Amino acid sequence: MDLRFAEGAIVRDDFFLVEIERFQGPLDLLLHLIRTQDIDVFDIPVARITAQFLKAIEGLDAEDLDSAGEFLETAATLIRIKAQMLLPREGDDEDEDPRAELVRRLLEYEQIREISQRMRASEADRGRRFSKGFIPARPKLLHQEMPLETTWADVLSAALAVEMPTPKGLHRVTTRTISMQEKVVLILDRLQDQSGIEFSRLLKGFGDNMHGVMTFLAGLELTRSGVLFLRQSEPFSELWLYRREEDEDGVSSDVGVIEVDS
Amino acid sequence: MNTPQIVEAVLFASDAPLTPGEIARADERLDEDQVEEALQMLKAEYDDAQRAFHLTEIAEGYQILTRPEFAPYLERFDNVPRANRLSGPSLETLAIIAYRQPIGRIEIEYIRGVNSSGVIRTLQDRSLIDIVGRGDGLGRPLLYGTTQHFQEHFGFASLDDLPRPDELPIILKDRMPLQEGEGDLDKEGTPVMSDPGESPEEQQPDNSVDESAQDVVL
Repeated sequence: MDLRFAEGAIVRDDFFLVEIERFQGPLDLLLHLIRTQDIDVFDIPVARITAQFLKAIEGLDAEDLDSAGEFLETAATLIRIKAQMLLPREGDDEDEDPRAELVRRLLEYEQIREISQRMRASEADRGRRFSKGFIPARPKLLHQEMPLETTWADVLSAALAVEMPTPKGLHRVTTRTISMQEKVVLILDRLQDQSGIEFSRLLKGFGDNMHGVMTFLAGLELTRSGVLFLRQSEPFSELWLYRREEDEDGVSSDVGVIEVDS
Repeated sequence: MNTPQIVEAVLFASDAPLTPGEIARADERLDEDQVEEALQMLKAEYDDAQRAFHLTEIAEGYQILTRPEFAPYLERFDNVPRANRLSGPSLETLAIIAYRQPIGRIEIEYIRGVNSSGVIRTLQDRSLIDIVGRGDGLGRPLLYGTTQHFQEHFGFASLDDLPRPDELPIILKDRMPLQEGEGDLDKEGTPVMSDPGESPEEQQPDNSVDESAQDVVL
């Protein structure tokens, strides 16, 4: 049994293993089958080549209809030629050989392929010759760090010199102001007769979120000035505000400290 | 200032090939013959002095290009790697168009045996081919031809620099009659790749392949 290795294919008599993806199309595949087996292109054994061709396209991805269709069309042509070869021909005119058109296409394709190889060589040769402008212009330095040569006084006077455009006819948003002062009074008031109070209870009866914010700020301010201390047993749990006792001299070490027990 | 100097100045300042006619525009006292003469002088001068560049005939014109042996040095400055090389399918399609222009997509696809619309679009985007007209067939198909940039890309002085089919190892001596594509083109005379001795009268279109191919059931 004749077993030899050809490029990308294992030839073993009529059995051919071909990786279909390697080929650019049906003509490429056909040429490969013919050339690797030293077949005379003007006397193609159609039955053998058709069998090998069909075998090779068995693995075609049926999902890719576009490229599969191209291979199938050529397969159909081969089968038709095979059938015509079996029929007796009228006369012996060379032009009537059913293989003629296929042979012409194969040779033309092979010629094109050879030409494109030579063009690739020309392209590579041209790629080694350069014209003016090949080396790009010296790149511009990007955002180089420079010491500031202006004084802050200059910057300030420049800023003051800028006249801000005064928007006219714009809608002004006015808010109802809630002062922190009234929240301080509220907290101190509520802690008159008890040592501690929940934050949420201080918000009872006030709808606006702004009351919550200002109450919290007032609580922080009172803590900072040593009147209160805050305690929360764990994150997101209830916040307690406690009155700091007068008899601790107001200088105890935990002044201003918000305690979070965890 | 003498003519070669003027010509040299023009060539030096250009980064694309210039024809003698274009160079002659530099001075109204110049004509193409004088420019041509100066070009040959400059060419010999650069070669004799072993300059790093030479005067190259390219794309129907002249351009100062570095000699290939300096490529290793210059390529170090190529900090933007350019995807310049064409793919196999692109080259194949370009070869068909170069030899058979003006040619339509259907005929290109018949020669290659595969769908080529994507490749054609890519080649057009890269200015290697362009639409040069419309065929007379059904739907008046677009016809493609190669551009000047095509010649620049491959370093061809003119289309005559394309490999000649009769130099190739595959010689179509026993050529079969040429099929007239899909009947969509109005081709005049013999296509480039035919044998010179073959007269159009001998060509008998044989359209039976495509018609009957559809009747075969696998």
